[in-house]
Amino acid sequence: MHSSPFPSPLPPSSVGSPSVLPWSVGSSSANPSAVLTAQSVTKSYGPTVALAGVALQIGAAESVAVMGASGSGKTTLLHCLAGIIAPDAGAITLLGPDGPQRVDTLGPEGRSRLRRQHYGFVFQQGLLLPELTAVENVALPLLLDGTDRRRAEAEAAHWLAVLGLAGLEARRPGQLSGGQQQRVAVARAQVGAPSVVFADEPTGALDSRTSEQVMTALLETTTGAGRSLVVVTHDERVAASCDRILELRDGLVVHERATLPQQDAHGQQVLVRGQQVAR
Amino acid sequence: MRTATRLSFLLLRRGGDASRMSLALPVVAFAVVTALALTVLGGARFFFTIEGMDAPIYQALAALAVTLLLIPLLTLCGSAARLSARRRDQHLSTLRLLGAPTRTITSMTVLESTVLAAVGTGLGIVGHVALAPLLGLLTFHGEQLGAGNILLGVGGTLACAVGLLVMAAASAVIGLRGVVVSPLGVRTRSEAPRMSWARAVAVVVALGAGLLASQALRIDQGTVALVSGIVVAFGLTMAVLNLVGPWVLGLVARVQVRRAGGRLVAERLLAARTVLDAPKAAWRQVSGVALTSFVAVFAGVGVAVTNVMAAGAASTEEDLLLVDLRTGIVLTLVISFVTVAASVAVNQASDILDRRELFTSLERMGMSLESMDRARRRAVLSPLRVVAVGSAAAAGLLVLPLTGMVLLTDPLSLVIIVALLAAGIGVVWLALRATSPLLTRVASRV
Repeated sequence: MHSSPFPSPLPPSSVGSPSVLPWSVGSSSANPSAVLTAQSVTKSYGPTVALAGVALQIGAAESVAVMGASGSGKTTLLHCLAGIIAPDAGAITLLGPDGPQRVDTLGPEGRSRLRRQHYGFVFQQGLLLPELTAVENVALPLLLDGTDRRRAEAEAAHWLAVLGLAGLEARRPGQLSGGQQQRVAVARAQVGAPSVVFADEPTGALDSRTSEQVMTALLETTTGAGRSLVVVTHDERVAASCDRILELRDGLVVHERATLPQQDAHGQQVLVRGQQVAR
Repeated sequence: MRTATRLSFLLLRRGGDASRMSLALPVVAFAVVTALALTVLGGARFFFTIEGMDAPIYQALAALAVTLLLIPLLTLCGSAARLSARRRDQHLSTLRLLGAPTRTITSMTVLESTVLAAVGTGLGIVGHVALAPLLGLLTFHGEQLGAGNILLGVGGTLACAVGLLVMAAASAVIGLRGVVVSPLGVRTRSEAPRMSWARAVAVVVALGAGLLASQALRIDQGTVALVSGIVVAFGLTMAVLNLVGPWVLGLVARVQVRRAGGRLVAERLLAARTVLDAPKAAWRQVSGVALTSFVAVFAGVGVAVTNVMAAGAASTEEDLLLVDLRTGIVLTLVISFVTVAASVAVNQASDILDRRELFTSLERMGMSLESMDRARRRAVLSPLRVVAVGSAAAAGLLVLPLTGMVLLTDPLSLVIIVALLAAGIGVVWLALRATSPLLTRVASRV
């Protein structure tokens, strides 16, 4: 993986120019460090084919942006990878702490448990529970999984502090700005130490400066802590901050490119994802 | 006005599933309000046609029944108006941002609210007419009522319908101010309300007046004086309940938030926070049951007192009055239960639709539907238990001399009270259960 600070625009030379990748889409040779693998995944809604045989691999501590026009299948792909829906055919495998696990063969209950225990989610609007305080919102995934309340809230407070929200634990979402709400959502996605975090247009409802802060926070807390990140986005700047960009069209990955490491004003490679958040 | 009409009907026609559902809810609510209001008023009107010595008693009792049922019916009517407003606000905020003039927005508001209320009222009138033959089988004053005596009549029906439509339009215009003043209409939540000093003083004054009125109640005094005393005491106690209710619910919820733990901690915490976030809304949702449980105690005591009085009653007129009292009590309770059930079902369905994005996100995060449903049920049933028991206790204290007498002479009345409270809670539970499939559909959508 490389480091790419959000503020820097994607260098023109990298856009549209396929790079040599450690593993490629549809490759038969499996990447041993892949956390999430999809093979020949198809999904149709009636006569409409949303996914037409997608194959991909997401490496450990790798960030991957999924781009494409509306209707290209990117949200369906994210839903299949995340176990929100089951694909019609193909295989999806998660390499979790307990070894490889087939996502596509799980029933609704199993998929629910998988999402609760191994995945984190960040949605476009944050979608926090308005009644709960910030710390309770972040602690919710742990509480749902049976963690003791005191421990869950201590863990949640830690993540809020990591995301620069110390002191705001008792505030409710309505008392926070849009950027703060989205950072609470980022903290909620991390609190259960998931293997993979899925973000669906995480900065879609934010201005560019706040987007930058949220995306940096998201990268720092996921790939910076050794987790993988899958981001569905329309925003080229958001995509450029990830390690790889997959482009979907008509339910197929038609293009894949690696983004280039970003440099600061002195030509030094910038490190944006430190280990300070790793626990 | 033509633009407003065209836009309104376009938006009414082009809704999706959820939009159609949110259209149906206010219609159903208005239909239930209309059918019940017409039936209650029609039945009450009949008692004002009775002649004879007991006529004033019947009229006082009819007035009492109307008072009892008016509050839950008005609550349901308010819910219906708010339901149609919530759906409309989204459209109107967008149109306002696009530069639609205030006149168009106001016209659309009045038009849509009135059209939905009119459809509901029309259905309610049909319901009222359909109910009349069934309720006409009831016997009052020694005779079958007959469908004709239940029907309010053309004049009364029209007046009632127009009244409901005016209420719908007025509440829509009042609710519109937020959209016109601030089209972005950002919802910010503040701290849960606290009990103000003025409210506390009002509670003490009303409670004192209620206790004084109850002191005046004696079984040996005239029946009219007895009923009048009950009406005054009842009204004051309801006023106290409405003042204290949200505050008590907030207080209980605050304790529940602190103490939430164990296996179902997420559901418990979420339910308590839901109440604490909007205790007034929580109260509105269950206040109908406050009234019902209040009535249940009155009914239990009333039935027992009736039995005691019947033992010494000699004249046919008095016998008839006692039988009619019993019928009236049961009828009032049944209508009250139906209103509460309708209110909870409509409010819950609307709440699920309002928060569909949130429920979907929770499902995606791995929260089970059962957990969501449990939290939602708990957020209604926990305040309900507080309210039902609290109101019953308040009513029992209010008519303490009669309650004490009944405990000694007719303990069966206690069984009736418990059964009626259980029925009230059971009806709300059923109404909540009835909305569970909607939650499943909304949360599981992709």
